[in-house]
Amino acid sequence: MKRNIFFLGIALGAFTEVAIFWLSVEIADPLPSIIAIIVGIILAYIAKGQIEEVTEDERTQKITEITALRTLQIAWVGLFLYAMWIIIEALGEGFRHYNRQAGLVGFRLLTVLCGVILLYVLLSLYYNRKFGA
Amino acid sequence: MKNKIKVYRAMHDLSQEALAREVGVTRQTILAIENGKYEPSLILAAKIARLFKARIDDIFLLDSLDE
Repeated sequence: MKRNIFFLGIALGAFTEVAIFWLSVEIADPLPSIIAIIVGIILAYIAKGQIEEVTEDERTQKITEITALRTLQIAWVGLFLYAMWIIIEALGEGFRHYNRQAGLVGFRLLTVLCGVILLYVLLSLYYNRKFGA
Repeated sequence: MKNKIKVYRAMHDLSQEALAREVGVTRQTILAIENGKYEPSLILAAKIARLFKARIDDIFLLDSLDE
């Protein structure tokens, strides 16, 4: 199996997992989700063993590093804007009809985003020390 | 950084695939190095040089942009 086929399969598998999770929520039964997650992990593990070529080297690691960083940056900004939009919506017209419940969702999301920054700083300090600073 | 991997491959009659296998990377990595789109680590450069029985600076050359 080619490496790209494997990653395509993983992406399709992830979409399927989300669909099954959604179905589980709709029918209020956690069993399909649990089975899907276990089967998914087993299938991914088996498929990884079927890859014939070298799957990881220093170039792919560098690509992964840059991709992960850009994904984090874009996701952070996107979620920050989404949280602000939720809060502004919750404030209502002229800030007079504040929907506390909706606003709370936005503030929780902002708290998680602050946590992400904290985690980034802590990991950055850890790796700085690990690599000789 | 410029490199002469293509020349050395031809001298040793090695395909990109074979070179990649010998030094433990993907064929795409060799292609990217040959095209100047990726600069290998010192370890990979040393592995390639050792395979071709050459010195690293015989194969990899600093160009004016690197200085």
